[in-house]
Amino acid sequence: MGEKKIIKTTCKSCHGGCGALVTVEDGVIIHIEGNPESPTRGTMCSKGLSSIQHINHPDRLLYPLKRMGKRGEGKWERISWDEALDTIEQKMKESIAKHGASSIAVSQGTGRGYNEYTHRFARSIGTANIITPGYICHSPRLGLYGLVTGYGRLYCDYHGWGGEFPKTQISWAKQLEISSADGEMAVWFLDSLKHVKNLIVIDPRETALSSRATLWLQIRPGTDAALALAMINVIINEGLYDRDFVENWTYGFENLKERVQEYTPERAAEITWLKAEDIRKAARLFAEDTPGCIQIGSSLERQANCGQTLRSIICLLGVTGNIERPGSMVAWMPPDTGLREDFFTEIPITPEMRKGIVGSDEYKMGAARTAHSDTVIKQLLNGNSVIKVWFSVGGQQILHLANTTEVIRALKNLEFLVHADQFMGPMAEIADILLPAAHWLEIDDIYDMHPRFMIEAHNRTVNPPGEAWQDSKIFNEVGKRLAPQYWFENVEKMLDYQLKKGNMTWKDFSKKVVHARMGKDQIYYKYKTDYWRKGGGFPTPTGKMELYSTVLEDLGYDPLPYFQEPGESSVSTPDLAKEFPLVLTTGYRQPFYFLSQYRNIPWLRSFQKDPVMQIHPDTAKQYGIEDGDWAWIESPRGRIKQKARLFPGILRGVVMATANCFYPEEPGPLHGLLKSNPNVLTNNNHCDPMYGSPDLTALLCKVYKAEDEK
Amino acid sequence: MVVDLSSCVRCYACLAACRIEHFLPMGMSWPRLIELETGGDNPTVSTYSVRCNQCKDAPCVEVCPTGATQQRGDGIVWVDQNKCVGCRYCVVACPYQNRTFLSKDKDKGFFPGIVQTDFEKAGKKLYQHQIGTTEKCNFCAERIDVGLAKGLKPGIDREATPACVNTCPAKALTFGDLDEPDSEVSRLIREKGGFQLHPEYNTDPSIYFIDGKIGQVEATKIEDRHQKEPHTVGVGD
Repeated sequence: MGEKKIIKTTCKSCHGGCGALVTVEDGVIIHIEGNPESPTRGTMCSKGLSSIQHINHPDRLLYPLKRMGKRGEGKWERISWDEALDTIEQKMKESIAKHGASSIAVSQGTGRGYNEYTHRFARSIGTANIITPGYICHSPRLGLYGLVTGYGRLYCDYHGWGGEFPKTQISWAKQLEISSADGEMAVWFLDSLKHVKNLIVIDPRETALSSRATLWLQIRPGTDAALALAMINVIINEGLYDRDFVENWTYGFENLKERVQEYTPERAAEITWLKAEDIRKAARLFAEDTPGCIQIGSSLERQANCGQTLRSIICLLGVTGNIERPGSMVAWMPPDTGLREDFFTEIPITPEMRKGIVGSDEYKMGAARTAHSDTVIKQLLNGNSVIKVWFSVGGQQILHLANTTEVIRALKNLEFLVHADQFMGPMAEIADILLPAAHWLEIDDIYDMHPRFMIEAHNRTVNPPGEAWQDSKIFNEVGKRLAPQYWFENVEKMLDYQLKKGNMTWKDFSKKVVHARMGKDQIYYKYKTDYWRKGGGFPTPTGKMELYSTVLEDLGYDPLPYFQEPGESSVSTPDLAKEFPLVLTTGYRQPFYFLSQYRNIPWLRSFQKDPVMQIHPDTAKQYGIEDGDWAWIESPRGRIKQKARLFPGILRGVVMATANCFYPEEPGPLHGLLKSNPNVLTNNNHCDPMYGSPDLTALLCKVYKAEDEK
Repeated sequence: MVVDLSSCVRCYACLAACRIEHFLPMGMSWPRLIELETGGDNPTVSTYSVRCNQCKDAPCVEVCPTGATQQRGDGIVWVDQNKCVGCRYCVVACPYQNRTFLSKDKDKGFFPGIVQTDFEKAGKKLYQHQIGTTEKCNFCAERIDVGLAKGLKPGIDREATPACVNTCPAKALTFGDLDEPDSEVSRLIREKGGFQLHPEYNTDPSIYFIDGKIGQVEATKIEDRHQKEPHTVGVGD
């Protein structure tokens, strides 16, 4: 036996962040487990552990490929990196010369940690047409938190650094327990539950936590704003609000008070299918047992009323004074290395770039520094596309955008598509150039999915297979060809540059693995200090936390939150509801898959082979569906089939479909994309006026047994 | 071992950690998750992370004709694969169905007919699995023994604690000595009403389950909490 070493690194199999210890012997990984000296204290889940199968997978893309036959025909030729980069450079330069830099889109998924590179690359070549899943996941929260904190981040304070843990926690459309998402870690949340007095779970489905919580609100999908506004109604009218905070640090309380009068618990109960007494109980618990925090799930951001829903919830935090108090919602100070997104914000979006952002006229909050994906798709269909060249890394837009059938047609109209990925899949299949990307076990990089109080190191444990490159290297090499002034001699120099504010080099940081500002180094009640504003206050035009938003008012939006019915529902479209009588929600996730990833990893696939839809036994009986049957789910856009799981913990009349699924083992170009992916059913015609988020998790459908299936 | 039903979130980490620790053949799983979902007035979603119960009165030991299945002094039941003849009496005798016969079709590899990965090749050298024998969870006995030899304590020190317990993000699994009244497992069983699955089988399992509500308890003062249990500041500050 030869050399055996244990390398400390950071898992990125979901949003990531768990410390990992990787044992490598003779260049082969023989063991992975959690790192007990990391902030996740030695725990890891099945996704990260199964990386052992991922990196050794025989289907990994190994070399750059060039399309030979027709788009999607599956004919490829291996080419050199030089040829691939030359082609990309030439196509981009041609498009910039002919149509301007905004004709180039850069897209990413949520997965591999390339945020800083995609944004920097796009800005460096003069386009802000960045296509990300942000507008249906996390960005609306950040934008609206930005109206409170300036730079847009509020996190649940699970850590007790200020002397208190949250006494009342609301888990709202979120299952943080099964994934470390949006800057939070499952481990921290689960630990904090040992200190909580009241746990309120808001979810149309029962979960392990909801069945043991203080209160479970089984809400009708898409009606969360009505619940939040009714809770504010109770809190204000019963005098339970935080008087000191409201009087001294908020703006527009009287306006909010007036607005919420129409949202009585009784009216909200009708809208949400909840009991008025439960709404009152939730409001009282949250207002009386403080401090409290709310974990917001991205399901709320997959609805065309998401902006107002989030505004309502943030106002609920405001009236209860749960901002910046220990154990409430806190904007963490970043470590001394600064905000990692400085790496791209240092290249500003010019007025010309802003003008070129697709969808910016309509979606002023969502399409301010990234493009509106659904408008990009519509333009490609209508033949008036601003986007001609699309550079895509990870995140298969073909899967996660609404109305898959339209998206497939639209993407075929691109002049040139480059895709970087680890495996062949529906997005890769329609590319013109395909680049092989590396896995987190194979890269040196700085981990920080969302800026918070720490950064962690990805340390390379083994070399990538074949000629696969890490994403940062791909962007650096393409960047050097198109905008050399912004790019670096090599990846290590680029990493050094990102760490320079902390007086560290990559080599220093790589050894340190975690660089954090924790405990006493965090400051609470920043609005009482000079942190945001000299003399105290919030970084808003009024210097207060704006319950009445002057910023939204200036942009032409309602400065106060309100509830709006989902675009499709028995209330907003009663005729449609006659044909499609069930509520469809598409957010079902399994803890061992991450979005569209890992259905090709044998261990993970063994936990659940087929995509599953949950339906109440009474509803299933009504439609002749039995447990384990394949069933069609049909919406006005199309139909898919999933395996029915009769689940008494879901509301009657609601169908919960597994999200983002395709069948990697099925033949290309689609790999079963249209068979079970619920985005075949979702609607890209009705979007949130602020963020452009389409209706993905509150729609109408009908179900029936798929007779032709075994 | 104590399994906390109020913590388990069905993430399958315990299965994955076990597969890595023991280089399990693709078709083999030592732990399993049993899902329970009920409706009605008192709806519950629970997940039972189950594995060999290391019963004190283990029927598998009794029925084994070759003495391959044995019980150690510390209570761990293990199979000497060199003595096992694959008769599968033990598979039938285990009332909890926690034993699996390793047939050839369970060892086709991660990517059958395509490639044997470097990890699998390494595993063949580092951890033997003999086709035609019976396998089950051994509470990571090898890990425990290496840890004990270093003077470490099972359930306290990672190096002497089963892989599934170490990896559990929800900390739903607790390991320790049931015979020691002050151990964490004994305390949990005592204070949270620990119960064995199917006690009517009369095998006296060494795995207990606990359940309970989240929250509800009157919040104690922060200072008291800090004294009672380490909190999250522990690392890095």
